[in-house]
Amino acid sequence: MAIFRLGDQAPPPARRVTDTVVMRFDHVYEVDPALMELTGQQELPAWDTLRIVDSRWDHLDWMHAHFADDVLLAGEESETLPADKPPADEMPSEERAGPRPVE
Amino acid sequence: MTTIAFKSGVDDAVIDELRAIIGDDDRVLPNTSSRVNRTRVPAPFPVHRWADYMPDVAILPKTAEEVSEVVKLANRLRIPVVPRAGGTGLSDGAVARRGGIQIDCKLMNQIHEIDLVDRTVTVGPGINMLKLNEELRKHGVFYPDDPASYPCSLVGGRIGTGGWSLLGARFGHTRDLVVSMQVVLPTGEIVEIGEGGGRKLRKSSTALNLKQLFTGHQGTLGITTEATLELVPRPEVEFAAFFAYEDYMSAYRTLGDLTKSGLATLAGVVLFDEWKIAYLRRDDEAYIPQPDNVRAVIAVAMYGTRAEVEPASKIVMKLGRHNGGRYLGDEISAGDWASRHDRYATPLHGRDKNGQAVMMSWHCEDAALNYSVLPKVREEWHAIVERYREQYGIFDDWGMFAYTSGPHKPWADYLVEIDIGIWESRLNEENWQGWVNCKREIAEVSLKYGGSITACHGATREGDAHLVPQEMGSAWEVVRRIKTALDPNNIMNPGQQSFDEFYEEGA
Repeated sequence: MAIFRLGDQAPPPARRVTDTVVMRFDHVYEVDPALMELTGQQELPAWDTLRIVDSRWDHLDWMHAHFADDVLLAGEESETLPADKPPADEMPSEERAGPRPVE
Repeated sequence: MTTIAFKSGVDDAVIDELRAIIGDDDRVLPNTSSRVNRTRVPAPFPVHRWADYMPDVAILPKTAEEVSEVVKLANRLRIPVVPRAGGTGLSDGAVARRGGIQIDCKLMNQIHEIDLVDRTVTVGPGINMLKLNEELRKHGVFYPDDPASYPCSLVGGRIGTGGWSLLGARFGHTRDLVVSMQVVLPTGEIVEIGEGGGRKLRKSSTALNLKQLFTGHQGTLGITTEATLELVPRPEVEFAAFFAYEDYMSAYRTLGDLTKSGLATLAGVVLFDEWKIAYLRRDDEAYIPQPDNVRAVIAVAMYGTRAEVEPASKIVMKLGRHNGGRYLGDEISAGDWASRHDRYATPLHGRDKNGQAVMMSWHCEDAALNYSVLPKVREEWHAIVERYREQYGIFDDWGMFAYTSGPHKPWADYLVEIDIGIWESRLNEENWQGWVNCKREIAEVSLKYGGSITACHGATREGDAHLVPQEMGSAWEVVRRIKTALDPNNIMNPGQQSFDEFYEEGA
């Protein structure tokens, strides 16, 4: 029997990305908590954050398919950003956040 | 002093008459929650005076005959009538400024006919474009009206507001996509409006071109109860590409290069300015990691057959790199284009003057402007917003964009918007009047540069609505004659676009 324990789903520690943005999961950005004093934040378990991110890609795929049969792209990488690098050891990754839900 | 425009009192006798017309008490809604839910639209709203904008009763008709009888009743008793579709507009066209009967068309959402021979679809005004296209996809056709509110706005509202489409450069905007329609006039008659006498004709030279008159009147000339719409072949492919620039003027020049390219499949080109990029850099996953030298962005989208779009895409990639443009990559290009409707689905937050994140509503002050004046307007608009931001502390500048606006002719006209966050929970009368003054100043700049105060949302916002007579100039008298002839008692959405002045004593 699977038991959901919120405590097992605590998000990884945040690392700073810019002066005003932090990151707990790769490519999932959050406003620096220091700037959220006037706006309450909802605590999300790790699996829920990742579920929302996955749903986001589903939504975008659906929107492409809704408007045309096929998506044509230039087939080129970004000219403004360096190619993706593996996260540094100290950076938490989605994989290290654990499965969902926890048994 | 007005003699006819009024704040209505809908009493029990009127409710009884409405129930007799509709024949279904569940579709006559004088209860508070039904009225509160139909009060505002997703534009900044004087939340401290919510009750001032509530209708007295909402009804949900199912037929043109029901709408006609309700309008006849309203005209007889001089009660305001306010048509409402999705309630997604950005300038209060569906907001009851004088109380009265709100006619909510959401139950008139049927597809009456799909004609694959003469390429039209006939629908009720309450259908949503996304749901319509899900049905049309089975037939290999497409209704290409694509506002930012695409997942939630309705055809009737698009017609009433003269909606603007994100794909307008390729397929035209709402006014170009309505072939004909059935309209209930302010005096209750049901009329067929098209090209001449045709229901499925795209061009006639008989009599007057009435169709455009009944597209974009903000619910002040009648209520559309059925519409016959254009069908286009479903696109084989979509192509999107985003390019970054180190300064606004480089992006501006590239915008001109792209829009004058002559590529027929070009559906939209949009330029984001430095303020917009700075705003996106706060919270948007595509822009947070971008280097500081990304200061302006151009996005291009094309739709059509693969045979057309594929070679055209090579030209776009070449033109986009003019003036130092750098491609943002496939992932951002595809993802950001598919995100173009997000603003209607996500909560918004801005920053106060101390940088703290606060929940804000989103307002986009739009204008129709020519290419030549975009840089000057940008400077003046931002200066205005900065001044009000400093003074009131509840506004936030979320940047500007310029989007191709000429249907099939994308080279000279632009929908230009400055997006402004408003901290609604801090609104009071002083702050609200500050906001109204800010909007008026923005609209005055548009007029100064030969533009129109709105390309998209409608001139029904408090503040800039007062400038409608000035913008219309010598044509204002023509507007007066048309409005008063069709709506002699000013019952159809009174209080909008300064039309009330036509009914003042001595007018």
